[in-house]
Amino acid sequence: MNEEQPETTATILHADLDAFYASVEQLLDPSLRGKPIAVGGGVVLAASYEAKAFGVRGGMPGRRARELCPQLIFVSGHFKDYQRLGGAAIKVLNDFTPLVERISIDEAFADVAGCIHLFGSPAEIARAIRRRVRAEIGLPISIGVARTKHLAKIASQVAKPDGLVIVDPDTELDFLHNLPVELMWGVGPVTKARLAQIGVLTIGQLAKTPGWSLERLLGPAAGEKLTALAWNRDPREIKTQRRARSAGAQSALGRKPAEERIIRPTLRHLADRVATRLRAKSRAARTVTVRVRFADLHSITRSMTLDAPISSTAMLADIAEELVRAALAENPDEKVISLLAISVSHLEERPQLQLELPLGLEDEQRRPGSKKGMRRWLADRAVDLIRDRFGWQAVGYGSVMFGMSRSVPDEFRELAEKDL
Amino acid sequence: MKFSVSKDKLLEGLSTVQNVVSTRTTLPILSNVLLQAVEGELRLTTTDLDVGVRGRVEAHVERTGATTLPARRLFSIVRELPAAEIYAEVDTKNLASIRSGSSYFKILGLPEEEFPPLARFENAKEFSIAQKDLKDALRKTSYAISTDETRYVLNGILFSFKENKLTAVATDGRRLALVDLELEFPRSQEIDVIVPTKAVLELQRLVKEEGDVKVSIGENQIAFELNDALLVSKLIEGNYPNYRQVIPAEAKERITLEREVFLNAVRRVSLLASEKSNSVKLIFSKGNMDIVAVTPDVGEGKESLPVMYKGKDFSIAFNPEFLMAPLRNLPNDEVFLDLIDEMSPGVIKIHGAFLYVLMPMRLS
Repeated sequence: MNEEQPETTATILHADLDAFYASVEQLLDPSLRGKPIAVGGGVVLAASYEAKAFGVRGGMPGRRARELCPQLIFVSGHFKDYQRLGGAAIKVLNDFTPLVERISIDEAFADVAGCIHLFGSPAEIARAIRRRVRAEIGLPISIGVARTKHLAKIASQVAKPDGLVIVDPDTELDFLHNLPVELMWGVGPVTKARLAQIGVLTIGQLAKTPGWSLERLLGPAAGEKLTALAWNRDPREIKTQRRARSAGAQSALGRKPAEERIIRPTLRHLADRVATRLRAKSRAARTVTVRVRFADLHSITRSMTLDAPISSTAMLADIAEELVRAALAENPDEKVISLLAISVSHLEERPQLQLELPLGLEDEQRRPGSKKGMRRWLADRAVDLIRDRFGWQAVGYGSVMFGMSRSVPDEFRELAEKDL
Repeated sequence: MKFSVSKDKLLEGLSTVQNVVSTRTTLPILSNVLLQAVEGELRLTTTDLDVGVRGRVEAHVERTGATTLPARRLFSIVRELPAAEIYAEVDTKNLASIRSGSSYFKILGLPEEEFPPLARFENAKEFSIAQKDLKDALRKTSYAISTDETRYVLNGILFSFKENKLTAVATDGRRLALVDLELEFPRSQEIDVIVPTKAVLELQRLVKEEGDVKVSIGENQIAFELNDALLVSKLIEGNYPNYRQVIPAEAKERITLEREVFLNAVRRVSLLASEKSNSVKLIFSKGNMDIVAVTPDVGEGKESLPVMYKGKDFSIAFNPEFLMAPLRNLPNDEVFLDLIDEMSPGVIKIHGAFLYVLMPMRLS
């Protein structure tokens, strides 16, 4: 065994492409470079740094963005190129170490502890990666180097745009404690606002807040987790070949009546996306969870664990509908919904199908091994094959194809949703 | 109430009834055992409102009476008592004093009036079955009961009394086990009932090789009387699915197998069946059956058995656990495996009124 404790040196990199979608657009169309641009239309999906300087943010309505920045240029997304270039950037990391954990389309962790003797110090490796991504792909990438994943991710945020921050383990707490809490993983706008209520604005203040106080504010699990992270206690290792333990999709609806005509097509659409991804990875799920968010933004979840894992679109949709109906029945006063989500967990790989005896029981249609289940599976397979060749829109369930209007293209959602 | 009883007998009596004790704490009385001291015996009763069991043990009763005491606690105390004889006295406040050798325990009970009475049977349909036959039928079917609570009608064994036969059926939707017993009873007695899993498990603990069991079926209730014990259970309401329709009319191929040899071969091969995609493949060629399990990235296991097989080459996959369950629970040396094709159910039969229908797994 090596006597040196690996945790005492900063060998974990977090690499994050800067304003990724917008940068890709500027790369593909040189006339856009140096200009404020936004990907999207009705909604800003991503903004370039030039646009961000005007206060334009992702998720903002297009009209508001134009008010802030009248010269803003809107471009529609080139989703295939995002996939391709995001993948190419990750490949550069892989040239240095196999210990790469991609966590989304445009960011990944890497542990370079084992390749220092080959390529030099973590700082030199990080510089080499940035150079290569810029030279070979043409995109700016920021990198944070630290002793833990959490701190590396924070460092890369601090490094942006187009920078490199290396956090020395000896002074890491000084670095961390001066930063605002919202840079922490897991601190979104809601948590940030709650923490602000008790005067906690920096990570240092958070670290020194008593546990009971955080627990009361955020719940026991979240409180404990944040305290640990605020002291840079993060034992998570780099997970290569990360196999997701769940998959999901959601649809923000604005404010829509909680009625069948809204719920059914939305759930069909979500089920279609989730189940297709499951099948593409030869997986099936045993637990189905739905989330319904109401007008006041409070949300409820309902879930069901099945006897046999499913990957059929129609089965997933049926179960999701049943769960949502039950959830709504329990909340009869809620007439308006603002979001629906489906997620699946307890995933099984390459499940072999246990066929079912044709006993004629009522629930056979949600059993993948029943005759009906087999027919649904065959239909899904046919749909998958057609889509592989002719694209997603080539074929689909009628209730989905004609029942939806979308402000955000699905390709964009696909990028954001976790890859299985 | 005041009695003395042998430690071994009381322990045996308590172990007969203590399984049924409810774990629900909402009704404390259900955690208690009802003790009734009558002439020459002590009666012990427990219930969880779905299933109730009553046993009796010989006792020297000085003063008759009744009380209820926490069943699990009483059991653990009695088990540890140092002497062979136990002396118990219960006062009017249900405080029990238990003496044995150097030990002295006091346990606070609850009044017997609070204990829910076991169901009474009026105008019940009655049957008498040899315990040996019932035991055999339960053993050959109970492993196939469904544990899926959403399919509650399958959470028990169907007892179908029809045409001078008792047919016991259990299925979880993937496999189905069935036993027929010859039994004489008038036409008017014909009835189908579903006995819940818990009652089946208790009944299996009670049945012995000798003697008969008296079965009484009343309105949504069934009772089994055997060997000084009484088991009463609610029945599962609802209609059992039409199991006859899933039994294949005839087989294309019949393979005769030595049960133990087949069981051991499947068990060995199944060591290489991955937990998730749990299947073993039976591959038939002239005069031979290979049993194969493959787990990607791990390895594979294979057994070859010589069999009388003359048909064309063919293979079929089964969940090994489903294949082994009946083989473990059959006494016969020889079993028959009837097959049609790789997507149709296989049937395991013996010389005797038993069959087991098993759906294959689809080979991907």
